[in-house]
Amino acid sequence: MTVRAFGDSAFLIELEQRIDPAIVETARALADLWETRGLGEAIPAYASVVLRFEPSHVSTADALTAARELALERPQLGDRAAGRVIEIPTTYDGPDLEETAALSGMTAAELVAAHAGREYQAFFLGFMPGLAYCGLLHPGIVAPRRASPRARVPAGSVAVANGQTIVYPFASPGGWRLIGRTDLPLFDPSADPPARIRPADRVRFVPH
Amino acid sequence: MIRIIAPGMRATVQDRGRPAGARLGVPPSGPADPTAFAAALALCGCDPDQAAIEVIGLPFAFRCSDRRIVAATGRDVRIRTRAANVGWTSVLARPGEEVVVDGSPRTRFAYVAISGGIDLPLVQGSRATYLPAALGPFPRALAAGDELPLGSSTTGGAGMEVAGRTIAPPGYDGPVRAIAGPHEDRFDRDSVDRFFASAYVVLAESDRMGVRLDGPAVPPLAGELLTCGIVAGAIQVPRGGAPIVLLADHQTTGGYPIIGTVVTRDVGRVAQAAPGEQLRFSRVTLGASGRSP
Repeated sequence: MTVRAFGDSAFLIELEQRIDPAIVETARALADLWETRGLGEAIPAYASVVLRFEPSHVSTADALTAARELALERPQLGDRAAGRVIEIPTTYDGPDLEETAALSGMTAAELVAAHAGREYQAFFLGFMPGLAYCGLLHPGIVAPRRASPRARVPAGSVAVANGQTIVYPFASPGGWRLIGRTDLPLFDPSADPPARIRPADRVRFVPH
Repeated sequence: MIRIIAPGMRATVQDRGRPAGARLGVPPSGPADPTAFAAALALCGCDPDQAAIEVIGLPFAFRCSDRRIVAATGRDVRIRTRAANVGWTSVLARPGEEVVVDGSPRTRFAYVAISGGIDLPLVQGSRATYLPAALGPFPRALAAGDELPLGSSTTGGAGMEVAGRTIAPPGYDGPVRAIAGPHEDRFDRDSVDRFFASAYVVLAESDRMGVRLDGPAVPPLAGELLTCGIVAGAIQVPRGGAPIVLLADHQTTGGYPIIGTVVTRDVGRVAQAAPGEQLRFSRVTLGASGRSP
C-alpha cells in the first residue's frame, strides 16, 4: 500500500484499485484503526483511506510514521452478518428502469426482481450527507452511468450504476440510472447519528 | 445577544467545522477562509472552537445588547462603530450601538466575531451551518431581526482589555502554495508542470463548495478514479481539464483525480479570490509549507 501526502494535514493510503467488498472492508478497518490512534479523522472509500491529522497537535514526521505503520497493518475484518439490516421500501417506477432492463437483456420485472432479490453491503458514505454506496449488484444488471448526468435527481431516488446501488438523500445533479424511489428519509439532522444507512449495514430494497 | 440589522447577501453561523461528519457523507462546512475566521475569534478573546458569523455580500450590520468586543476579518474587511473604522482589529461595541461591517468589491467572505462567541448548541458535534442539508443549530441564512445568544463575555477570556488588538491580515495576493498530488500519477508530467507554471482565472460559478478555474487545461490521463475521500484545498480536475479548488462545503468523496492540494494556510486565499482575478500555484513539498516540522 502506498502512502502519499494529501496536502499538509492528511495522507492518502491506496489499496488495490478495484471494487471488491473485502478491499472496502479493509479500507474501513484501517480508517477505524487510525481514528483509535487519536491523530484525526479518517475517510475510507472503495480502495483508499484519507488519514487526517492536525499539524498543530502532531508533527508531520510523526504523523507520516504513524501512516506508514498503518499501511503495513492487515486489519481483522468485522463479521458481515453483524451489520444492522435496513429495509428500503421502494416503488420501482424510475425513468431509467426500462432502458436499464433493456441494456441488461431483462424485462423491467426481471430487473426489479434482481435488484430487490439481494442484500447489499453499505460500503461507505460519501458525495452528500447520508448517501451510502451499496453493492454489489446482480452481475446481470448492466448499468453504466448516464452519458449526460441529470441536472436534478429528486430526493429519494433509488439508482444503480457500475455494480452498485444508492439512494439520493437530497435532490442533486446525478449521473446514476434511476430505477425507483423511496419515501424513507435517509438523513435527519435531528437524529443521532443522522444517517439512516451507516457503513457496514446490510441493505434490502423491498418492492412497495 | 446580538440582533441582526442588515444580513448581507448570505450570512451563516460557523465554527471550525464538522470533520467527524465525513464518514456519514457530511461536508465539513465551517469557514471558507479559515485563517480569517481564526483571526476574528482570537481578536475577541474567543477559543478556536467557538462560533462566529460568515458573511457573503457586505454590508452586514448588527447590535449587541450589552458591551462586547467585536472584530471583523476577511479580505479588505473593515468594521465601523462610532469610535473606530478598522479591519482585523478588536473594537469595543457599546450596548445598542450599530456596528457595520463593510469591504471592497474584492471581498468574498467576511467574518464577524463577538466576545463570548455565538452560544448555540452543538449539532452533530459542531455549530457550523451546512445550508444544503439544513444542518447546524441555526440552519438557515441570517435575516434582519434575527437574534443570536452570546456566551458570557468573560468565559472566553475576553475581558475588555482585548479592545485595540490587531492581527496582520495575510497577503491575499501572490502565488498560492500547493503540494502536488495525491493523484499526480494520473496526469502526465507536462500537465503537472503546466499547472504549476500557469495563471488561472477565477470563474463566477465559484461558491463555498469550490473555486472553479479557467486556464490551460490539465486533463487527467484516465478520466475518473475510484471515488476517494477528499480534504479542503484539494484541486480536482474533471475530464475537461479545468481545475476546481475545493472549499469548506466540499463533498466528502469524489472521483476526479487531484493534481495538487493547497496548503491549509492558503485555502482562505483561494476562497477570497474574486471572479476574474488570477491565481497562480507554487509547488511546495510537505514540511515546507510554513507549518511544523
